[in-house]
Amino acid sequence: MANGHAAAVRTLSPKQQEARLGWYLVAPAIIIIGGLIIYPIVYNVYLSFFDVSLSGDNTFTGLRNHVRVVSDPRFWNAVWTTVIYVTFSVMGTVVVGVVVALAMNREFPLRWLVRSIILLPYVAPVIATVFAWQFFFDPVNGLFVHVLVEVLGVVANRFNLIGNPRTAVIVAIVFSIWKNFPFAYLMILSRLQAVDETLYEAAELDGCNAWAKFRYVTLPELYFILGSLVLLRVIWNFNKFEEVYLITDNVRVLSIYTYLTAFTGALDLGRGATLAVIQFILLMGFILYYVKRVLKW
Amino acid sequence: MRKILMGSVMVLMIASMAFASGSQEPAPAETQGPVEIEFWTTQTQSDRLATIQVLVDTFEALNPDVTINVIPVDENDVSTQVAAAAAAGTLPAMGEFGAETAVALGSEGLLDIDANTSFIQGLGADRFYQGALRMVGDGSGSYYAVPFHGWIQGIWYRADWFEEAGLQPPRTWDQILEAAQYFYDPDNNQYGILVGTTAEAYTEQVFTQFARSNGAALFDGDGNLVFNSPEMREAIEYYAELAQYNPPGPQTWRARDYYLQGKMAMFFYSTYIMDDLAIEDVAAGSLTSDNFSDLQGAAFDPQLVENTRLSPTITHTQDAGYGVIVSLAAFQQDDPAKTAAASRFMRYLFTPNAYITYLHMAPGGMNPVLPEIASNPRFLNDPSGVYSNYGAEKLEEITSGLANIESFGIVDGHRIEAASVIFERQIIPQMLYAITQEGADIDQAMAEAEAQMQDVLDSM
Repeated sequence: MANGHAAAVRTLSPKQQEARLGWYLVAPAIIIIGGLIIYPIVYNVYLSFFDVSLSGDNTFTGLRNHVRVVSDPRFWNAVWTTVIYVTFSVMGTVVVGVVVALAMNREFPLRWLVRSIILLPYVAPVIATVFAWQFFFDPVNGLFVHVLVEVLGVVANRFNLIGNPRTAVIVAIVFSIWKNFPFAYLMILSRLQAVDETLYEAAELDGCNAWAKFRYVTLPELYFILGSLVLLRVIWNFNKFEEVYLITDNVRVLSIYTYLTAFTGALDLGRGATLAVIQFILLMGFILYYVKRVLKW
Repeated sequence: MRKILMGSVMVLMIASMAFASGSQEPAPAETQGPVEIEFWTTQTQSDRLATIQVLVDTFEALNPDVTINVIPVDENDVSTQVAAAAAAGTLPAMGEFGAETAVALGSEGLLDIDANTSFIQGLGADRFYQGALRMVGDGSGSYYAVPFHGWIQGIWYRADWFEEAGLQPPRTWDQILEAAQYFYDPDNNQYGILVGTTAEAYTEQVFTQFARSNGAALFDGDGNLVFNSPEMREAIEYYAELAQYNPPGPQTWRARDYYLQGKMAMFFYSTYIMDDLAIEDVAAGSLTSDNFSDLQGAAFDPQLVENTRLSPTITHTQDAGYGVIVSLAAFQQDDPAKTAAASRFMRYLFTPNAYITYLHMAPGGMNPVLPEIASNPRFLNDPSGVYSNYGAEKLEEITSGLANIESFGIVDGHRIEAASVIFERQIIPQMLYAITQEGADIDQAMAEAEAQMQDVLDSM
């Protein structure tokens, strides 16, 4: 028997042995990903079918959590808020990123310094920038309201832009654009620097003005980088919690609504798990559609 | 620091010896032979522990037969630590913790109710603020613990503005509303009052005072949920009306800065604000004109402490204050000598010099539960110089709030555990936020909150 086993090992070709070594090498990664990513996702899906109790006595409730979530108007409100937040913050981030990248692709004095300074919003700790923004929009002492009401006189009454549930989403979107455009700018700039100059020269010979050069040379060159950028930012902003919650807890995007449902009030962990599952399905649906249609993979 | 500590030890030793020899305190005869006890305290900061150690050293010098080991325990860990010690048979002889914790431990039979009750009776129950005593009572005339110190919440208001306007101090619902309306002048960036409207603890603390002043409660003495009552509805309606005179948008305790800047007439806050009002360095930590030099009126106002008064009690159908009491308690012990030693140490901590030294650890945060201490000239003279800015009369007025403190969590000597869970889960603040900021219908919001509270009860 031992001889047979030894014979089997001996008969492995070098390629097979290499494959086996490959499996040994990736095994730790598979175990870690399985334990830290796959298991929580599966467990979360499992929990969504239960009425979860902190004492551990979970009761199977079938699809009751799912029905309750989908029939709750606050859930649809959260979905709607998320769509608004993600759409405008991603569009804004990409547009500002493109404009800044185009500007930074031109020669001007101290360009190296400006290029670094632009990264500040992205690298500054979120909590520090959030406090700065809260001071800026403070209804009584903030510079923003002061300028609008006292200096320009555009608005008659002081208002709490960041606190009012109706306007807070605007602040959250603008904050997200401001905080994340440097990331878009970095990726776009690196692609811009790789665009072949001869393309522009050829376009000029064909009589293209600046807009036409942008439309027919720059944009096609940027297509896939913009496509990937939009995908990444949608995934990140769809799941974004801290940037929104820290600046104002009045914007009930799905991630915040899930947190509030699961951990405050009635502390409904089963419903929280259901929300997370639905959020995951919505996002996966978008990703599959987008990858097929836009990135054409 | 060491010099100050040594100095304090000397002063305390001399003062205590003078007190011991001058008073009629009988030499305690209950203990024979040396006894060693543990004192668990929730004062975990090192400077406070140093002060407590000074008091312990002084006590031990006066009572050579007693040794006290001071053990700091985090407030949030008290229940678990006590449970573990009870299981191991190593309960400390004495502890210092919040009244709610004391009632919970007491009702589980871990505290020596007889020792604590007879201590209060020995000191004189009528010498305490009655509200403070109620917070540790068992509902049948005995006490789970001995109230020691506490903070009070109330309406801090611009007494000079009120006087100029000819308004009464804000005590009744009508007086508060009238003043809030009168001083609300958003065109000039001035606001009437600050009540909490965000979904956080501060909002419930402020609202509790209004609800209790109308006799509204979350639970009755038997633990039945009685939240959805006409009294509660009336309090919510009134609260929502009052919130209109807040600065714009949802507000929380941070908006107290507007008061320090002279832009607000009244605000709810605890006595922890006392040093901000009185000491420039402390106030500088708040938002001032340094940050926004082009905005008007914000530098430290040295007159503010003089022009500010506290209205600690709100009155509608009944008086209601709000505050948190910290208590001392003797634990159940097998050895009566340890209980006796704990009682002696407690007695020592209530002697004026030791008591005032203890309270001075946190001016504003630790207020005396004995009215006579609030008017003691030594109490006025705290090392950081906060109290001298207020004077005896105001300090008595401030601490008098302890006479009427009310809570949702303690009803007729029973601690309602569910009230703490409801507090933690922000059910009431979320309801008030929805009503005041999102324009939710009061009845509907109350019904939702009630359903959430019922969920809490069902899950316990």
